Amino acid sequence: MVSLRMTTVLAALMVGLLALFGSGAGAEEVVVYTSLETDEVVEYLKVAKKDMPDLDVKWIRLSTGDLGARMLAEKDNPQADVIWGWAVTNLIPFAQQGLVQPYAPKGVERIPAEFKDPKHHWVAIDLYMAAFCVNTEMAKKKNIPIPTSCEDLTQPAYKGEVVMPNPASSGTGYLQISSLLQMKGEQAGWEFLSRLDKSIAQYIKSGSKPAKMAGAGEYVVGASFEFVCAKLREKGAPVQLVIPKEGAGYELEANALMKGAKRPAAAKRFLDWAISENAMREYAKWKAGVTLAGMPQPEYLPGPLNQILYRMNFEWSAANYGRVVKEWEKRFLR
Amino acid sequence: MALARGRPAEIDWSLAHRRFVDERYLLYPAMAGVFLLLVVFILFPILQVIQRSVAGPEGVTLANYARYFTHPRIASTAWRSLWVSGLSTVLTVSLAFVFAYALTRTTIPGRGLLHTLALLPLVAPSLVQALALIFLFGRNGLITARLLGADVNIYGWHGIVISEVFYCFPHALIILYTTLSAVDTRLDEAAESLGASGWRTFWTVTVPSAKYGVMSASFLIFNLVITDFGNPKVIGGDYNVLATEIYNQVSGQQNLAMGSTVSVILMIPAVLAFILQYYFSRRNYALISGQARPFLRPTRRGAARAFGAFCWLVCAMILLVYATIITASFIKLWGYDFTPTLRHYRFEASDGWQVLWVSLKISVIGGIVGAIFSLLVAYIVEKKQPPGARLLYLRAVIPAAIPGMVLGLAYIFAFNRPGVVFYGTIWILVIANIVHYLALGVLAGIANMKQIDRSLEEASVSLGAGVLMTFRRVLFPLSRVAFVSSALYFFMTSMVTISAVIFLYAPDTKTAALSVLLLDDAGEAGEAAAMSTLIIAVILAVFLLVRLLLGRQGFKLIRG
Repeated sequence: MVSLRMTTVLAALMVGLLALFGSGAGAEEVVVYTSLETDEVVEYLKVAKKDMPDLDVKWIRLSTGDLGARMLAEKDNPQADVIWGWAVTNLIPFAQQGLVQPYAPKGVERIPAEFKDPKHHWVAIDLYMAAFCVNTEMAKKKNIPIPTSCEDLTQPAYKGEVVMPNPASSGTGYLQISSLLQMKGEQAGWEFLSRLDKSIAQYIKSGSKPAKMAGAGEYVVGASFEFVCAKLREKGAPVQLVIPKEGAGYELEANALMKGAKRPAAAKRFLDWAISENAMREYAKWKAGVTLAGMPQPEYLPGPLNQILYRMNFEWSAANYGRVVKEWEKRFLR
Repeated sequence: MALARGRPAEIDWSLAHRRFVDERYLLYPAMAGVFLLLVVFILFPILQVIQRSVAGPEGVTLANYARYFTHPRIASTAWRSLWVSGLSTVLTVSLAFVFAYALTRTTIPGRGLLHTLALLPLVAPSLVQALALIFLFGRNGLITARLLGADVNIYGWHGIVISEVFYCFPHALIILYTTLSAVDTRLDEAAESLGASGWRTFWTVTVPSAKYGVMSASFLIFNLVITDFGNPKVIGGDYNVLATEIYNQVSGQQNLAMGSTVSVILMIPAVLAFILQYYFSRRNYALISGQARPFLRPTRRGAARAFGAFCWLVCAMILLVYATIITASFIKLWGYDFTPTLRHYRFEASDGWQVLWVSLKISVIGGIVGAIFSLLVAYIVEKKQPPGARLLYLRAVIPAAIPGMVLGLAYIFAFNRPGVVFYGTIWILVIANIVHYLALGVLAGIANMKQIDRSLEEASVSLGAGVLMTFRRVLFPLSRVAFVSSALYFFMTSMVTISAVIFLYAPDTKTAALSVLLLDDAGEAGEAAAMSTLIIAVILAVFLLVRLLLGRQGFKLIRG
């Protein structure tokens, strides 16, 4: 008899569950893939809802690499209409492979030329920069000075106390070494990285992880990017954000229209909104810098952007990716 | 026995005819259906991966494989994978064997509780487990740095091995517990009454009779470890193994072809392990008798103490990991600010509680469908043994040899096409989860079928019942417990799995376990811990509910 009872329970469960599946939405829909952080996206989309009440934004958030792999795998039948806030270094080769189509959103002329593709494959909205996340408590305990530059990290005091992302698996890792190679020139750059290698405890697979490890006190210095560190500090971790004196490498986060987008009209509406004044103002509440002039800058940065950033050449970064990563693996992969 | 194993001596021809008709109209179509499903959802996606690993600009090429093997450091990932997997296997199986022995062959108190506690690691997303280990044993870990004041470096191959042992322990325990409780203990008694010492009995009777169970557990664990990606990623530091190399290629360098190549290389030892596992598990159950009669004499005091201490130590470690996760969800910031708070449960930084609901839907459907399907496969492979049963079995277990991430990609390659209606719905996640964990479901199902004496089925048939009737009235009631435990297993794994889901979730089908990963990515450790706590709570609540509905007996074998 127990079996009868169980069969009934199972049947009831199945019927109940099947009943859950019908759901429809009447509004215009757009599917967005993004690497912006979830908590930001939730706030941005509140603004979007106010500005475009009839647009239903469906979205997915994944790390830069995972999202790229997903788009690449889906390319024969793209599920997304729009890429929103995704690393330009990754976007450039995607544009070359024809995964995105050109579109000049309304108001794109307000964005300076250095932040957009001349052929309108992408428009950047914000940037994040390479930064050290230093655990002050551990530094004090281990009697290690707070570093101020990349050069500092090559000193023996930091041996085994620095974690850095692996450029073969992390976009942040690549931007760090790419900026150093551009800054110092290739030969001096590699030579510097060899010296730095002696201090590195681990090359980690994700770009935000070094900051989190420093935050947790596992290592003193995490070479990561600025807002993770700022956020950890906000949560109460004893960390200090250090922008390297040499100038910080940075990454632009950009928008693009997917080739084969199934809802092109809605996608274009969203892309127009995504560089609008309202959107930019909201980005500026979270980001180190936005691409529209005249927006406020977060207090945690030590100075105006044009003084703390190293001017990156993204075309170089994208064009030399394969070669640089291979060279890096040859020299430093453990 | 000979009579029971063979055909009944005299057959009523009308019954035989009925059986034949049943088989023709029910069994064969069912088998064809199972074959078809396995081809569509397993073989086809895997072929897509293999195809991408050999696709060049001008037709088939082995260039990717050549590149893998000529890059000295990347090629070394294969050896590292074998080393880490081998070591984890030996450790896990040894620990689990002692534990299972204590549970089944000694009379130490609290065995039921110990058994339940030991299986706890199954109900948490493995990512959080690795994080908890770092919280406890990292360079700034609560135990290593704060209590012991030691500067221990947990990152590297040894860190991977430790967390893999945690992760795999319950899986090994399940198999070894079944083995040791099914092997006839009267053999041990006979040995002892013939004057053999405890040790001698252990080495000459207990271990040999369980050896195929040990082998079977070993290959399963080897497989779990070599395909696992979460633990090496979190705790492996820069020690690269095959599974993390796939991640480097796919996610880091957006090189799907190379990622596919490394996946195919990884599949070779993994599939090999399963073929051997199949071989040994067949031997294992041949030793299990339906008449095994567990009877235990009280264990000597010294031995009882030693076993008790060992088991409680293992369980204390497991509880510690859980306590860490749960504590981290209720305090402001682990390591620095231990003020109690509920704010992480508001999930302000994410889309909140809705993900839990999605997970629940996927997991309940996955549990029921997965259990039905795996029992069906087990029934066909074990009881019907049609031509090609081995092939069927092999196909059913291959997905276990594929890292979840690769399965996710394979599913995109295979099913992201116009007209595939289930792509982008929760059904693709349900199917991927079932397929990914089908191997263990089928293995458990086969184990269960083996314990049902064939004579019962034959009695039913010779009394005039058809295949359907026999299945419904004899096999299903006897498999009921297996069904429930299998359903709970699929439910549990669907609740906690992440890797395949990353590539398959759609805006409306974000799961709770995925939310844990994304929250951790965003540096929201507290909220990640809170979501994990909720996942654990939901799983335990469902277990409790099932227990209430089905009574004690239904629950007992969930563990088995």
